[in-house]
Amino acid sequence: MDTLEGLAKLARRAREEQTPVFGMAEMVRLRIQSESRQSVTLIPLGLFGGLSAVAASIILFMAVQFWQYMNSPIMELVAPLPEIRLW
Amino acid sequence: MENADWLDVTASVRGDEDAYERLVRRYEKQITSLLWRFTRDPVQCEELVQQVFVEAYFSLKTYRGDAPLLHWLRRIATRTGYRFWRKKAREPQEMPLPDFEIMEQIEAAEEEERIDPSEAAAVLHALLARLTAPDRLVLTLLYFERCGTQEIAERMGWSRAKVKTQALRARRKIKEIAEREHLLERLGWTL
Repeated sequence: MDTLEGLAKLARRAREEQTPVFGMAEMVRLRIQSESRQSVTLIPLGLFGGLSAVAASIILFMAVQFWQYMNSPIMELVAPLPEIRLW
Repeated sequence: MENADWLDVTASVRGDEDAYERLVRRYEKQITSLLWRFTRDPVQCEELVQQVFVEAYFSLKTYRGDAPLLHWLRRIATRTGYRFWRKKAREPQEMPLPDFEIMEQIEAAEEEERIDPSEAAAVLHALLARLTAPDRLVLTLLYFERCGTQEIAERMGWSRAKVKTQALRARRKIKEIAEREHLLERLGWTL
């Protein structure tokens, strides 16, 4: 007998095997409920994260703008004082 | 598509959990039977079956009803089983052939019909486990599920040419493995 023929014969017999039955409809229902809840709690979390990112971007933008207009306090010391007429 | 299936599918999409429970009860046996080919560990098999039905529930909106629901579920189950194998392939494992006692029981059988189907399945499973995931998948579906190359291609989203090449290569490899293990001699099928 050819090896492949033997394997096919073995497979024919293997197909008749009784497979286990778990009865898991209730478990599937519970798991679906749990995963649905998880996805619901993730929506506000994602929304909060998105809003935080937008707020952080605005603050960063403003900070850069302020930085450009800000004078250095050391430069203030060495800069010549404007002439003031004392009398 | 069966009317009862379609009614339960539409009800499930609307959120009727009882309808989905009916679908699970209706097809649980067939899906378990398919996933039993991917793992012979009852705990792992149960986990995989649950994964399939949970994934199917969340994808139910995409089911158009062109093919019977069971075909659609089998496609999800096959891909779930394949993912499981690929994940397991990353972990080192060595699955030996069933021990000598079991082989002796098979050897004692004079005719094919006298071989215990569970033992035959265990031997075949252990042999197929020595192949890579794609080779193993093609041969598992060919041997255990009696799928044609077209059906395997549809289930996996592969081309038919790829399945044919894979099957040819996988058959050559399994033949080598079986001969190395002296399978036919141990089964008493050499004559």
